[in-house]
Amino acid sequence: MLSMKSISKVFKTDLIETHALRDFNLEVSEGEFVAVTGPSGSGKTTFLNIAGLLEGFTHGDYFLDGVNISNLSDNKSAAIRNQKIGFIFQGFNLIPDLNLAENIEVPLRYRGFNAKERQRRVQHALEQVGLAARMKHLPSQLSGGQQQRVAIARALAGEPRFLLADEPTGNLDSMMARQVMELLEDINKAGTTIIMVTHDPELARRAQRNIQIVDGQVCDFTMYQGEGYQGGGHQGGAGSEKPHRVAGSPSGTDKSRYDSKQTQRVAS
Amino acid sequence: MFFYYLDLAWRSIKKTPLLSLLMVLAISVGISITITTLNVYQLMSVNPAGERSDKLIAVQLWSQGKDVWKEFNAQVTYQDAFNLRKSDLPLRQTAMFVTGLAVQTEDADFSPVLEIVRVTDSDFFGMFAVPFLYGGAWDKRVDSQAAYQVVINQEINKQLFSGEDSVGKTLFLDSKPYQVVGVIKTWNPSPKYFDVTTGAFKDSAQLFIPFSLAPIEEFQSWGNNQGWRRESIDTYSDRLNSEMHWLQYWVEVSDDKQRDEYAQWLAGYVEQQQLLGRFDSPEAAAQLSNVAQWLDLNQVVPEDNKILVGLSALFLLVCLVNMLGLLLAKFLQRAAEVGVRRAIGASRKQIFAQHMVEVGLIGFCGGVLGLIWAWMSLSMLSARFDLEESLTHLDPSMWIIAPAIAICAALLAGIYPAWRICSTNPSVHLKSQ
Repeated sequence: MLSMKSISKVFKTDLIETHALRDFNLEVSEGEFVAVTGPSGSGKTTFLNIAGLLEGFTHGDYFLDGVNISNLSDNKSAAIRNQKIGFIFQGFNLIPDLNLAENIEVPLRYRGFNAKERQRRVQHALEQVGLAARMKHLPSQLSGGQQQRVAIARALAGEPRFLLADEPTGNLDSMMARQVMELLEDINKAGTTIIMVTHDPELARRAQRNIQIVDGQVCDFTMYQGEGYQGGGHQGGAGSEKPHRVAGSPSGTDKSRYDSKQTQRVAS
Repeated sequence: MFFYYLDLAWRSIKKTPLLSLLMVLAISVGISITITTLNVYQLMSVNPAGERSDKLIAVQLWSQGKDVWKEFNAQVTYQDAFNLRKSDLPLRQTAMFVTGLAVQTEDADFSPVLEIVRVTDSDFFGMFAVPFLYGGAWDKRVDSQAAYQVVINQEINKQLFSGEDSVGKTLFLDSKPYQVVGVIKTWNPSPKYFDVTTGAFKDSAQLFIPFSLAPIEEFQSWGNNQGWRRESIDTYSDRLNSEMHWLQYWVEVSDDKQRDEYAQWLAGYVEQQQLLGRFDSPEAAAQLSNVAQWLDLNQVVPEDNKILVGLSALFLLVCLVNMLGLLLAKFLQRAAEVGVRRAIGASRKQIFAQHMVEVGLIGFCGGVLGLIWAWMSLSMLSARFDLEESLTHLDPSMWIIAPAIAICAALLAGIYPAWRICSTNPSVHLKSQ
């Protein structure tokens, strides 16, 4: 589904050169729910931006759904983002002047769907997140959790195969965060591949796999196959993966949590 | 997508009303100045003869002596007009001038009014395609055998005869009875190319009487009278035999061949007059000009007017530079929203198009407002400086031209801001929103 090989991303200024990602390798299979963690400035967001075709990369190869992403034109990148990728942001990023239905139909407009099809998809997406009755409300009339559900509905309306979530619960209280997380798990169950950047280890544990990024590299990953995990459209492959790279002992973490056979999902 | 972009544009304008209003004002001021000058320029430079422009020919003769006028005069002398009328080469021809006569009716209660009257030949009406409401021109025989007949226009007909068919009725000009033979519809070509000497943008005459009456009634010319030598003009006969230029002379030819033949005939006429002791300047010649050439020759559109149009275009440019700055500020405020749109599938082209539609809408609003201002300023100019109405009415074409110029100008100003906003990296703004 997603394959990054030796990806590097260098930001250059006149004085300094910053390696946001270096020799970054990652394989994500269809239907996986992958959590990406790491300290601030480690390159999580850069990875997500590259994965979502919002930024280019300096070196390496990136294949998404079998398509080589290197050197794609802006039009093709936009089409892939529109058709295959759904985005969920920490700050919800709803357009404040548009009501919920209009927000959700934005990507559908760019995709060229007719009014009837747009209406059908908007209705369905809002029903999925439980906000069908509020489609005429403006984002400012909703709580943070509701806004994030709308953002999820917007991402779902295009029926993407791939959902990228950048700290989707970062601005929510714990109850709201739980609701959003459950929603994401349901979406994943339905077969959508999800990559979620989070700082929250509790949430990370609810994913199928946790990738830790440190200094722009995949430092470690952990498989979660405990019975607590309820998601997982993808059933094979993940358990047989081996760590790409382990930089010594997983620093600052409880080693037992990185043992896939021992790790249990922690109920939130 | 166009209507979607239009909807977004309208929302954006409503969201930032002050900024949008400033932009609309900036462009409307530029447009109003441009349209005002362009309107006057267009009205002045129109060729009202249209397709007949090449067939209607103004005749000029270099009849003056040596070392006087250094160019052809726009008018001819009576004796030349008298001679030229004898040629049967042109399809039609007319000599003419304007005079002023007191108009009365048989109604004793009707107070006499002084009106401008064009003294001309019967061919005038056919040559210049004058539209008739009732009747027609006087008979061609009247051009040689004077008769007291008159053609009046619709307004005078309404004033004197309540708008009824007045053909056959009598009116009095300077107390002489004239029989109405025709009533023309409202006809006021602008510029009044057949007689630019009395003001190309003045109204046309209200009444028309036969040229053959001039020597009999001794009508005084109310137009320009230009002499190049000292002459004692005591009687009307002296005037008719003088070298004073005071008549306009036009002919109609069927094609270039006939025009060339007529030119040759005129060359012969000049030689003949030289043998008679006139036309003694080495430059003596005849000159023919079609309507377009005639308007150009007489500088109906002054050079100043062209400069004014250029200056107003420069002013529009200044307004556009202001608008560019405002657009840049407005669009860059929206970088975060654009980032979201880009993330969820909008291409750069789509973002560019969205913003250009908004710019176009602002331009359209500015164009319409500018047009209203142009209309107001033309009305004010007309009232304040007593300008001719033919120059200060807003040409209908401006209702298309003004918004079109405004939209094009706004789009030009919007290219850079729209390009900037569609070129920004969306990921930069997604976190910050």
